[in-house]
Amino acid sequence: MAEISFPLPDLGEGLIEATVLEWLVAPGDQVERNQPLVEVETTKSAVELPSPQAGKVVRIHGGPGDKINVGEPLIVLEVPDNTAGIVGTVPKEEAPKRRVRLSAVLDED
Amino acid sequence: MSGRHTGQPHTHTVEGTDPQLYVGVHEPESDSGLRPVLLLHGFSSSAKLNWEDTGWITALLEAGRRVITVDLPGHGRSGAPEDMDSYSPSRIRADLLQIAFDAGVRPLRDGDPSSGLDLIGYSLGSRLAWEFGATQHELVHRMVLGGPNVADPLADFDLVAAQRYLADGTPITDASTAGLLKLAQMLPSNNIFSLLSLVEAIKGEPFDPAEAVPHMPMLLVAGEKDERAASMPDLAALGAKSGAMVEQLVLPGRNHTNAITSRAFKQGAISFLGV
Amino acid sequence: MSNSTLEGGAAASTSAATPASTTVMSMQQALNRALDEVLAENPRTLIFGEDCGRLGGVFRITDGLQAKHGAQRVFDTPLAESGILGMSVGLAMAGFHPIPEVQFDGFAYPAVNQIVCQMARMNYRSRGTMPMPITLRVPSFGGIRAPEHHGESLEALFAHVPGLKVVSPSNPHEAYHLLKYAATRPDPVIFMEPKSRYWQKDDVDLAHCDANDDGASPTGAKVQREGRHLTLVAWGAMVARCLQVAGLAAEDGIDIEVLDLRWLKPIDAEALAASVRKTRRAVVVHEAPLTSGLGAEVAQLITQSCFDTLKAPVERVTGFDVPYPSGDLEDEYIPNIDRILFGIQRVLEYKRG
Repeated sequence: MAEISFPLPDLGEGLIEATVLEWLVAPGDQVERNQPLVEVETTKSAVELPSPQAGKVVRIHGGPGDKINVGEPLIVLEVPDNTAGIVGTVPKEEAPKRRVRLSAVLDED
Repeated sequence: MSGRHTGQPHTHTVEGTDPQLYVGVHEPESDSGLRPVLLLHGFSSSAKLNWEDTGWITALLEAGRRVITVDLPGHGRSGAPEDMDSYSPSRIRADLLQIAFDAGVRPLRDGDPSSGLDLIGYSLGSRLAWEFGATQHELVHRMVLGGPNVADPLADFDLVAAQRYLADGTPITDASTAGLLKLAQMLPSNNIFSLLSLVEAIKGEPFDPAEAVPHMPMLLVAGEKDERAASMPDLAALGAKSGAMVEQLVLPGRNHTNAITSRAFKQGAISFLGV
Repeated sequence: MSNSTLEGGAAASTSAATPASTTVMSMQQALNRALDEVLAENPRTLIFGEDCGRLGGVFRITDGLQAKHGAQRVFDTPLAESGILGMSVGLAMAGFHPIPEVQFDGFAYPAVNQIVCQMARMNYRSRGTMPMPITLRVPSFGGIRAPEHHGESLEALFAHVPGLKVVSPSNPHEAYHLLKYAATRPDPVIFMEPKSRYWQKDDVDLAHCDANDDGASPTGAKVQREGRHLTLVAWGAMVARCLQVAGLAAEDGIDIEVLDLRWLKPIDAEALAASVRKTRRAVVVHEAPLTSGLGAEVAQLITQSCFDTLKAPVERVTGFDVPYPSGDLEDEYIPNIDRILFGIQRVLEYKRG
C-alpha cells in the first residue's frame, strides 16, 4: 500500500484559498473515485470536491471553518501500490477469448 | 459529469424571439421512474456553479432522477440578449415552460409518477419557481425552494448608483446594492450589463408572493445565518394559508452563500421529491 | 524464459531447475532494478523527468531511486519536455549519461525538435566528437483507458530519424536486460515501455538475457515461441497478445512462431528472414495506425528476403488510421485476438493466381 496526499486543487478564477465547511468522509472510510469528499467555500461560491481516486482515507486536513491554501494538503488516501499515481486503469489479466476459428489445409511442400 | 448537453443555446422561439438559453439534460444511469427535476439557479450564478460544482446534479442522478438545468439570461452559457423584455420574470417563466415541454415534460396524471415536473430553486431561482408553480399547477408536482424571501432583494437594487459606479467609480452608498454588484462582477461568465438588465426587469415586475400562491407541496430551506431568507417563515405561512403542504428546513451554521452545498439540504430535497 | 537455463552441456545437466539468478518480478520492478543498477555502476548516469524524483514516477518506475542515489542524480523537472530533452543534450555533451523520461508517449511531441534536430544528429554533426549517450524512456502504446496523448505508438516516427535507435521490451525479463543494455550505449536510444504490461509479473533471469548467451549484448529480435506454419511479428505489448493467439491457433492445429522484434531500429532483418524462410507465412501486428507504420517496413524486409518462397503476401493487423481513441473505444482500436486470427486466416487461405 502507498499513501498519496492530495492538495486543495486550483479552484479556478484566481482563487487562492478555501474554507472547509464540512467533511463528508472520515479517516478509515473507503472512498470511490468522484465520491464527494468535502464541502468548501471560496469568496465566490461553495463547492463540493470529488475524490480524485479510490482509496482509504488516512488523514484529513482542516476542520470546519479552517482556511486551506490552494496546493496545501487536503486529504491523504491509502491506495494499492500498483495504482499509486497512475493515469488510467491497470488492465485486467484475463483468459484469452475468441470467436474466430482457423481452418486450413496445410500443404507441407 | 455524465450529462448530455443540447450542445447549443436553446433555440425554440417564444413570442417570436430566441431566448438563447443554455439547457442541459442529465440522464441517470438507473432511472427511478420519477418525473424530471428542473433546477433554477440564483442571481449571478449558473447551472454549473449552483448545481454542478456543488454536487447537486450528481446527488440527483444517483437518486435516479432525470435532471434539467438552464442558465438564466446573461448567466453561464446562455446568451445575453439586448432587449429588456428577455429578462422580465414573466418572459423567463414562459421560456421555462417551453424548455420543460421540449425536454419531454408532460402534465401530471394521477397514478403516473413519471408525469409532471419537480422544481428546485435557489434564491432568485426560488422566486421564479414560486411563480412558475403558482401558474403551472397542472405541471409542477412538488417544489424545493432554497434561500427564499418574500421580497426580491434585487427590487431594492440601486440601478443608478450601480451604473454610475461602473461608469466612473463613484462609490455606492447602499450596502445591499454594493454587495450584489460585487457578486455579479466576480464571475467572468457574467455579462454585467445584461445582469443589470435583469435587475431592471425585476424592478419592473417585483416579487409579490401573495399575488399567486402555489398549491403543491413545498419544502422551504435556508441557512440559519441566511439574512436574505429571514422572511422564510412568512412565505411558509402564505403557502399554508392557501392550503399548500409546506415544510421548512433550517441548516445550522449556514448562510446564503454556503447553504447550497449542504448535504442535509440535498438529502432533504431528494427525499421530499422522492414520492 | 523457458529456454534461458540452457547454456550448453554443462548447464543442461543441472536439469530443469530454475537458475539461482531467476526471480519473479513485474515489469515495473524489473525496470526499477535495471535503473538502480545502472546508477550504481556508472556514476555519470542521471535520471530525471516529471515526477521521477520525489514521487518515483507516475508508474513507480523510479520509485526509491532518489532516496537511494540522491536528489543530485534522480530529480524532478518542470513540465516542459523540450527542456527535459534540451538539458539531456547538454548533459551528454558534458560527459554525463542522462536517462530522461517523458511521462507519456504523447508528451514526446513537444520535444521532437530536441530529439530529431539535436539528440539524433549531434554525433554526426560533430564528426563523432560529441556522442549522445542518452536513453530516453517513453511509457508507450495504449491499453490502460487513459486520456488523449496517453496511448500513442511513436515507433515509426522515431525509427525514421537517422541517428536514433529504438527498442521496446515485451515482458519483465526483456525489460530488465534491454534497459540495462540501452543505458550503456554511446548513442541515443528511445526506450518504449509498453505501459499496459507494467504490472505483468514473470520470471526474470538476471544473469542471462538470451539462451546460450555469453553475457553479450541483447541485440536483434528473439523468437518467443517456435512454430512451423506462420510467423507472427510483434513488439511491445502486442507480443503477449500474439503469444495468446498462438496458443489458440494451436487448438486449431496451426503451429505459430512468435518473433519479438525487440529492436525497432535497427530491425533484425536476418531474424525475420530466418523465421519466415521456415514458416513461409507472416503476419505483423502493431498498435500504431496502418499507413506508414513499421509493419510496412517489416513486410518489405520479409518480402525482400523470402519472396521466392512466401505462400502469401505479408498481412498487417494494426490500429486504424485515426487519432488514438478514448478509453471506451480502445478495445476496438488495438488489434484484438479475433482480428489477429482473421489476419492469420487470410494468409492461410491465400491462393496464388
